[in-house]
Amino acid sequence: MPRAKSKKEEPVEAGSDVVMEEAPPSHQPESRDDMSVDQDENDGPEDVEDEEVDEEEEEEEDVQRVRLLPGSTPTAASFEFLNEGHTLGNALRYIIMKNPDVEFCAYAIPHPSEAKMNVRIQTFEGTTAIQALEKGLRDLQELCDVVSDKFIDAKEKFAASASS
Amino acid sequence: MDYDPMVMDDAEAMGPVVKISQADSVRVKYQLSNADISFANSLRRVMLAEIPTLAIDLVEIEENSSVLADEFIAHRLGLIPLNSEGVDSMFFSRDCDCDGTCERCTVTLTLHAKCTGDENMHVFARDLVPTSERINSVLGNPIITDADGLGPLILKLRPGQEVKLVCIAKKGIAKEHAKWAPSAAIGFEYDPHNKLHHLDLWYEQDPKAEWPPSEYAEWEEPPQEGEPFDYDAVPNRFYFNVESAGSLPPDVIVSEGIKVIQQKLAGLIHELSEGDGGDGMNGDYGGPRSPEYATGADGFGGYTTPFGNGGNQSSWGGAGGTTPYGTTPYGAGQSTWS
Ligand SMILES: [Zn+2]
Repeated sequence: MPRAKSKKEEPVEAGSDVVMEEAPPSHQPESRDDMSVDQDENDGPEDVEDEEVDEEEEEEEDVQRVRLLPGSTPTAASFEFLNEGHTLGNALRYIIMKNPDVEFCAYAIPHPSEAKMNVRIQTFEGTTAIQALEKGLRDLQELCDVVSDKFIDAKEKFAASASS
Repeated sequence: MDYDPMVMDDAEAMGPVVKISQADSVRVKYQLSNADISFANSLRRVMLAEIPTLAIDLVEIEENSSVLADEFIAHRLGLIPLNSEGVDSMFFSRDCDCDGTCERCTVTLTLHAKCTGDENMHVFARDLVPTSERINSVLGNPIITDADGLGPLILKLRPGQEVKLVCIAKKGIAKEHAKWAPSAAIGFEYDPHNKLHHLDLWYEQDPKAEWPPSEYAEWEEPPQEGEPFDYDAVPNRFYFNVESAGSLPPDVIVSEGIKVIQQKLAGLIHELSEGDGGDGMNGDYGGPRSPEYATGADGFGGYTTPFGNGGNQSSWGGAGGTTPYGTTPYGAGQSTWS
């Protein structure tokens, strides 16, 4: 009985890791308390202008495509990739798990209508999740190089056998 | 081979192998072995949806007295495969600094047909004429593979009817619209004998008798009678059948697919190593949204955890060359790629 109880409490403790202040800033206007009809008419165009400026700024600076999610520690981190999906996620998960210094790696697409892909990496002491991610990306590139070369070789072989 | 085998099992340690079994101007059939299903599937997905090609994206209609609505014709024009050789050196028109059209981001084609005879007139893709400056002489030509040299039928005109329009073809990917897909279909198959039981074949009496064998069945050992199920087995050989829609030759689709994965990875590696003066990760990474994750010059040196799990802290004092990667290109304090 006491065992079951302590198990129940665990999620609560784990959840306290996450710092809620780190939630992304809201795009909602700060105060919407007095919503008289007149004010809405006045506010309307201003809001639109603000949003336009925001979009322009976002376009100019390169949008950050990878970020660390709150609650990450050096050896246990979650990364959020923008505009990536199963194409990168699954292959990256596989190649990162090949790294012997990695204890755990998994990916998820939290919601199908958001173009976001999350990767969780937990490493053994001695390396960091970020290093494991970088190594994973590099290893996958090397794998692509090898497959690319092998395909070109196979093409030449096939052409030679077809002509002879 | 430079690829680090790490902890791969025996088959995988030999490295991936590619074998082509059939190749012509329309399709290439090949076998990828000693690779993981996740990588094989990435390649399949990227060949379907992310290789840039050229397709008609804007249509300016000057005259259309045919029975088809303007938008109907525009849609049909979009789906006509255009030669995309050299599309790599083009810009996406949203990235080009011209205003509207230029030879670096668009190809303009015109179509002008009027039925002057007594018979109905057929308008084919060959009637689309590239009229703008192009970076090479084939880019944007409609793909015509039939013996008569006509290409796909776009519309028909009754006597007296006329269409006159200007098409602007742009670079794009099939993720945005299927008209940019370089491949018509990609066959992807593994484990022809279903030894892994990834398939649950429906049957009335006997699945063996009712399901035709795969064309790859003879490439792999059939299961022995009474063979126990191997719980550790994973798929290892993948049979691809890449069929081109015309805009790119099938072998180029495969090579370009791998290239697209590599560009994806290069972009991410660049972003991860961006802005650090050869010091590995620095405070920039993680960005303004996670200020608690400030890191020192040597990666995680000086890191203090706000999460109270101090147990980790001590071992991160001088992350520098103490990691197993210290002597590899991945070591902190070293950044060999940019
Ligand atoms: Zn341009």
